Amino acid sequence: MSQVTTLPRAGIRRRPRRGRGAGINVFYLPALLIFAIFTIYPLLNGITLSFTNWNGYSAARDVVGAANYLRLFEDETFRMVLLNTFIFGIGSTVIQQILGLGLAVALDRPLRGRTAIRAIIYLPVLVSPVIMGTMYYLFFQYNNGALNDITTLFGGERIAWLSDSQTAVLIIVLVNSLQFVGISMIIYLAGLQSIPTVYYEAANLDGAGAWQQFRHITIPLLQPAFATSIVLNLIGGLKLYDIIQVLTGGGPGYSTNSVSTLVGVAYFDNQSAGYASAMGVVLFLIIVVFTLGLNTLLNRRRLEQQ
Amino acid sequence: MKSRSVLFAVGTVIALAATGCSSAASEGTTLEFQTGLSIDAQLMAAFEEASSDYEAANQGVTIDLIPAGTNYEADMKVRLAAGNVPDILWTHGWSLLRYSEFLAPLQDEPWAEHFNPVLSDAMVNDAGEFFAFPVDTDVAGLIYNADVLDQVGVDPADIVTWDDFTDAATLVKAAGIVPIAAAGKDSGAGQLADWLAPGAYTDDELTELAAGRFVDQPYQDLLDLVESWKDQELYNPDYSSASEDDVARALSSGDAAFAFNPNSMVSNATQYNPDVTLGYLPVPSITGDDPYLIGGEYNAYGLSKTGDNLELAKDFLNFLAQPAQAGALASAVGSIPGMTNATSELGALQDSYDRYVADGTVPLKPYFDRVYLPNGMWNTMVTSTDSVITGQSAPSGALTQVKSDFSSLFGQSN
Repeated sequence: MSQVTTLPRAGIRRRPRRGRGAGINVFYLPALLIFAIFTIYPLLNGITLSFTNWNGYSAARDVVGAANYLRLFEDETFRMVLLNTFIFGIGSTVIQQILGLGLAVALDRPLRGRTAIRAIIYLPVLVSPVIMGTMYYLFFQYNNGALNDITTLFGGERIAWLSDSQTAVLIIVLVNSLQFVGISMIIYLAGLQSIPTVYYEAANLDGAGAWQQFRHITIPLLQPAFATSIVLNLIGGLKLYDIIQVLTGGGPGYSTNSVSTLVGVAYFDNQSAGYASAMGVVLFLIIVVFTLGLNTLLNRRRLEQQ
Repeated sequence: MKSRSVLFAVGTVIALAATGCSSAASEGTTLEFQTGLSIDAQLMAAFEEASSDYEAANQGVTIDLIPAGTNYEADMKVRLAAGNVPDILWTHGWSLLRYSEFLAPLQDEPWAEHFNPVLSDAMVNDAGEFFAFPVDTDVAGLIYNADVLDQVGVDPADIVTWDDFTDAATLVKAAGIVPIAAAGKDSGAGQLADWLAPGAYTDDELTELAAGRFVDQPYQDLLDLVESWKDQELYNPDYSSASEDDVARALSSGDAAFAFNPNSMVSNATQYNPDVTLGYLPVPSITGDDPYLIGGEYNAYGLSKTGDNLELAKDFLNFLAQPAQAGALASAVGSIPGMTNATSELGALQDSYDRYVADGTVPLKPYFDRVYLPNGMWNTMVTSTDSVITGQSAPSGALTQVKSDFSSLFGQSN
């Protein structure tokens, strides 16, 4: 009878067998492949196109160097639209943080029907932005719009809400904020529920009021939630497309376009696919810079508070 | 053993994915026909009838009539870029300048000898080739509601200058009716500019434009006129949110007097109210020249030159080009046929045709953007004019936008 020698269990752990992880790797290759085909390839292709004068459909295209990027600096419409994009991004983010945090704090407390209220507030997130935009278009439109019908019911004049660019931009920010406030609320609710109650109990014993508790316990301990919510909302706001298309189509003139919608206009309507690609690359870089900058800033603040 | 299991699992996943890609074997041949039409358009109904007749005579052939979404042009550009050109597609005025590199030349087809020569400027290239079958010869003017004008005591025949028009519009407004109905949501501002522009430029200035040199003052005059109507509140108050359907309804119900649209607008309006009396009159000229009509290619269909079914598609076009079929199709849009050997019922527009078109004395000018502006300028015309109508921009600001885009797009396309 041969003697079987077994290695101690701990020894096996210290010596990983060759290829053990490689088998697992095969399972994420399809996802990696899809990511490469639908994200990496279009990104690289878009960057390449931005250095050409392609019209978007013809076989012919010439390399024009950095001409499309230089044109961006001279394009007044692009500057206006870039400002709109910042308003959509930052405006929506601010509104969603204030409303989302307020709703989260209110709905974190024992309240009759709070699960139903949370679901109702979150429900618009599940709806397509096109549907949301259409609903609000029907609300704000001049003829047969619900808001104007209500106004005239009380003897008021009809107002062309979407004809004034400033009003229309604000409406777009508001609609986008109301649709996605549920995401902020959920993130803050999760953050609130992870804060140990002992801190509040101790603060109560020390005589701290509700505002002091919110200011010195809730806000500091919600820093990770702030980072997540702000970055998500900011990216969504900077990329805003669907709601603008449905509510105003970018008009009047170009005045309510975002960079995302202007890319579509330049690509398909003006037949300047190269120029549109340059806009897309710039938008991509703006989002990267904003996101990385914000993440760094919020992480630094969190570390300082720890 | 473990690696075999992994390979088996991966293989299974790939096999399952592959089954989703398999398609059922098809019988016969299907021609994809991108009509560019809404599902309820009268021309769509005429195509359905013609397709049924063709299918009955050609067993195994199916004509797949596809209605257009709101992004027809963008969809087509994507398909052209991908090399996936439909068998038959609507060229909406661009068979030569945009689509010709993808389309089969049709000048040698049996019906080509009946091609209406009026369309040559817009559709035939220097080599004598053309690339689409014209359903109609589009002739358009300033659409008016005769009942409304009669109500305010205006004879449309008296409108020969823009001052005449503005006076008539002011009377209409005083009667509580919208003078000018435009569809801000459906590029109505661009059509307004397209109607006005041919009369803003002299022949010499048009030559300059065609050579790539933008001439400012005529376009400034055009935008000033657009702004003056805004200042006098002559546009529909729901302009920004109005669709073409809204304009058709307003014309049909007598809630609007004038519209700057192709004649398909009249067909749509009479669908809402068959009793309404609509017509069109020649467009006054800003320079003071004679009023003119606008025309050219509109409802025309080309064939993919690389399509597998090119010969069958040509046969189908031959069928559509027969006088009876061509006449029925043109009647559906209330226009003159694109074939000289066909006749059509112009319906509500018969009087206007008899008065202004039949004797050929009123000049017919091409759609301005297609001939004198570089490819891609349509959207600039829409947005710049729109910004003036809505007061977002002064004419000078809108002009700067037009000039800038003209320069960059002309450079791109030449």
